[in-house]
Amino acid sequence: MANDVQPLNLHTKSIGVKAILLAFSIFMLLLIVGPLIWLAVHAFAVEWIFPSYLPTGWTLEWFRKVFEVSALVSAIKNSLIISPIVVIVSAVICLPAAYASARYNYWGRRTFLIMMFASNAFPKIGLFATIATLYYFLNLMGTIVGVIIVQVLGTIIFMTWIPAAAFAAVPKSLEEAARDAGASKFRVFRTITLRMAMPGILVAMVMSFIYAFDEAQGTYLVGAPSIYTMPTAMYAIVETYPVQVTAVFSILLTIPSVLLIGLARKHIIGGQLAEGFQIK
Amino acid sequence: MSASVTNQVAKESFGSKDSKLSLLGFFMALPPILVLGIFIGLPIGLAFFLSIGYTGGLNEVISIIGQDIRGREGKLFTLQAYKDVIADPRFAGDLKTTLIVSSVATVFVLIFSIGIGLLQRLRGGKLSSVLTALSLTPLFIPVVISSWALYTFYGSAGLYRTIFQSFGLDIPQITSTMLAVIIGSIWTSLPFAILMVTSGFQSIPNALIEAAQDAGASLITIIRTVMLPLALIPIIIVATFTSIGVLGSFTIPFFLGPNQPTMFGVEITNFFTAYNRPQQSVVMAFIVFAAASGIAISYIWANFRSAKESGRV
Amino acid sequence: MANQSGEGLELVGLRKILGGRVIIDDLNLVVNKGEMVSLLGPSGCGKTTTLRMIAGFLIPESGKVFLAGKDVTEIGPEKRPSAMVFQNYALWPHMTVFKNVAYPLKVRKMSKSEIEKRVHDVLGLVNLMHHKDSRPAQISGGEQQRVALARALVQEPDILLLDEPLSNLDAKLRVKVREDIRELQRRLGITTVIVTHDQDEALSISDRIAVMNDGRIEQFSTPQELYDAPQTEYVANFIGSLNRVTGSYENGAISAGSDVIGIRPEDVFFSKNQVPGSVAATVTLVVPRGHFYEVYLKRNDAELRAFISSEVPKAGDAGFANITKALIYRDGKLVRTA
Repeated sequence: MANDVQPLNLHTKSIGVKAILLAFSIFMLLLIVGPLIWLAVHAFAVEWIFPSYLPTGWTLEWFRKVFEVSALVSAIKNSLIISPIVVIVSAVICLPAAYASARYNYWGRRTFLIMMFASNAFPKIGLFATIATLYYFLNLMGTIVGVIIVQVLGTIIFMTWIPAAAFAAVPKSLEEAARDAGASKFRVFRTITLRMAMPGILVAMVMSFIYAFDEAQGTYLVGAPSIYTMPTAMYAIVETYPVQVTAVFSILLTIPSVLLIGLARKHIIGGQLAEGFQIK
Repeated sequence: MSASVTNQVAKESFGSKDSKLSLLGFFMALPPILVLGIFIGLPIGLAFFLSIGYTGGLNEVISIIGQDIRGREGKLFTLQAYKDVIADPRFAGDLKTTLIVSSVATVFVLIFSIGIGLLQRLRGGKLSSVLTALSLTPLFIPVVISSWALYTFYGSAGLYRTIFQSFGLDIPQITSTMLAVIIGSIWTSLPFAILMVTSGFQSIPNALIEAAQDAGASLITIIRTVMLPLALIPIIIVATFTSIGVLGSFTIPFFLGPNQPTMFGVEITNFFTAYNRPQQSVVMAFIVFAAASGIAISYIWANFRSAKESGRV
Repeated sequence: MANQSGEGLELVGLRKILGGRVIIDDLNLVVNKGEMVSLLGPSGCGKTTTLRMIAGFLIPESGKVFLAGKDVTEIGPEKRPSAMVFQNYALWPHMTVFKNVAYPLKVRKMSKSEIEKRVHDVLGLVNLMHHKDSRPAQISGGEQQRVALARALVQEPDILLLDEPLSNLDAKLRVKVREDIRELQRRLGITTVIVTHDQDEALSISDRIAVMNDGRIEQFSTPQELYDAPQTEYVANFIGSLNRVTGSYENGAISAGSDVIGIRPEDVFFSKNQVPGSVAATVTLVVPRGHFYEVYLKRNDAELRAFISSEVPKAGDAGFANITKALIYRDGKLVRTA
């Protein structure tokens, strides 16, 4: 890319711009960081009474307490089992479609893409309410399959659009060179196309995982009270347990996302995302 | 990749209008459509028919359980449920709240994301990297937690009040207000916006900006005439996705907003579960859907228009 | 050659560090008004860095840049009286050809009618009026380059900067375009600096060429002087073809020694009979090159290539080869011509 070689020589000397930048930064820091730190600190706090700046003491007790509650532990287990399954199911369903939309022209191609986008326009909460009707009919309420389906629905747009852009970005000439060298169609796909589109696919998988892991509304409507994942357990514990427990759970919920995004960071910020969301 | 390379690759990569239609491609593309069709399309269809009075077939169970169901009584359809909802005194307040929160949040999300995106692209440096990384943190946090964190932060015992207290000011808590919902909506919408907009600015080659400098343009002019137009698509995507997302949101207004008037997302859930009036619930869902579709259509239109201009279509 | 009227371009003692490395150190250059000068060298020699310092995209660590007599070292590219044609043309894809070219004038807040007049003039100059409402994506590479050129010229700059203008064009087009550029430059009389790695290009259109190596200008002369008397071994190697032999040169023969002897293939001749100064040689290979032949000769003191266009021998022929001119280098510098 042309940009990472030399930074631009654009400077403004005006104080006004600098002042705006400062105000902007402070505001952003407060807006974003404040609430998170506030909550995170609570996980380690013995007790924190308004209006003091600091809690009365620091402890790791709350972490231990969380792991003692079986309901919470089972929610953690459910989350860790269900989310990967959702990603795999979604990948199986969507990746072929992603490849097709990048490489083939077929009846309704653009319409399909648009419909996928349009399905996102319907308010999720209204959707889940109406899905309940179908679920009662299919006996899927309160089942793991039901929860998985509900989560897969939200990942479809990630798993189709982003990998589609990744596949489209693999120059056809590279594939042709491989065919010319004697590789079969499948081998070309495996060793060239898939390899080169992998970063995009990984980005899509990471975003899908995080979506599934964090999904609360649909899972709650469909899963409760038999199945709780970590986010839906939050709905329950928020009222009944002290803030510190919520804080601990929040930190636990955050860990997989942080890890995954940390690993895929380079690719997400690198521009895969913007490429994915255009209808080509 | 620069725009021209992408175009080139795009043209090379997949069939244009005149290439053969592929049957294999069609079947490969089918699964997600089927899944969406059964689990989203079908429920939406059912809900739509329920909203216009079809209480039989798959809608039977829900029609029996729910209250205040308006049947179509032999006519092709009835708009009575819609009339009920619109006439409801809560509706106007909810509509106003939803639209205001959605538009204000979208405007601010755009300001912040464009601001950070420009800073990152034109200046780089530590501050912008820090700000970018920070704005992405809500991505890691499930909405439920974000709502809770914001709730406690801005609440009666929160840090927000603590800080002001130490200056001797007794600011009322801002939870259960529209302002809190706006702040919360900005909070959750920011990461996606930042990702989109920064990646949009990143793909503008240095040379295009330098050429404008060389031609004598000031910083503001360059931003206005070169950078914003070239990043228009991501910006429109952000505006669309953000407004649609906030329009139908539930968790943030549920935790942070007042009881009345509230946003449609909350009202839809209330009507479905607490008040047991499912038909009115789906009616509201469709009203929101109509608004969201309007926004979505402008996104699609903008996409095709830009594709035409840059010669892709 | 000192700068007479204080116009044109003057670089004094420029020093530039990038990424911790010293790219340019104590670079001096004077370009006269109306002159067309090339900065010639391989990638990494610092020519583009120099160009960008002239344009204002890089500020030197020390040294000064004078454009049209004014010290512009601290001034940004917006305010410098220079205009640049970028290597990849850098046309704004969301604007038509007309709008691209009109941009600098719009920035200067010129009136609409004035803009229209000037843009039409310059589009006529580069022969692109018929494309004025097209978008960059719809025109060819060569046409895009002309748009970039038009956009630079419409600013009526004191100095025109071209960054590898021909490198993205195919071979045939290159020759035509470089002649067009030269003709245009002559007609308008604009001081011009071109950055290129192609010595053919530099030799055919420049008034003078600055051959650069590793951040330094090794020689700054007219094409002919560079060709006839390259001051350093590097320049001799870079410009034109060269036979390189290590030894000692005396009267057309090469004996043992440590000098580097440079012999141009055009200065090597082959004959069946012995002429004064020639040495016995056999032809090992003959390569047709269009209007001449590249003939590989093996003498007992050296192996040489010759460019021969008439009475061309065949591989295996025995005869005599003589050298009419040799450039002798010691420690990289030209010591004498013989």
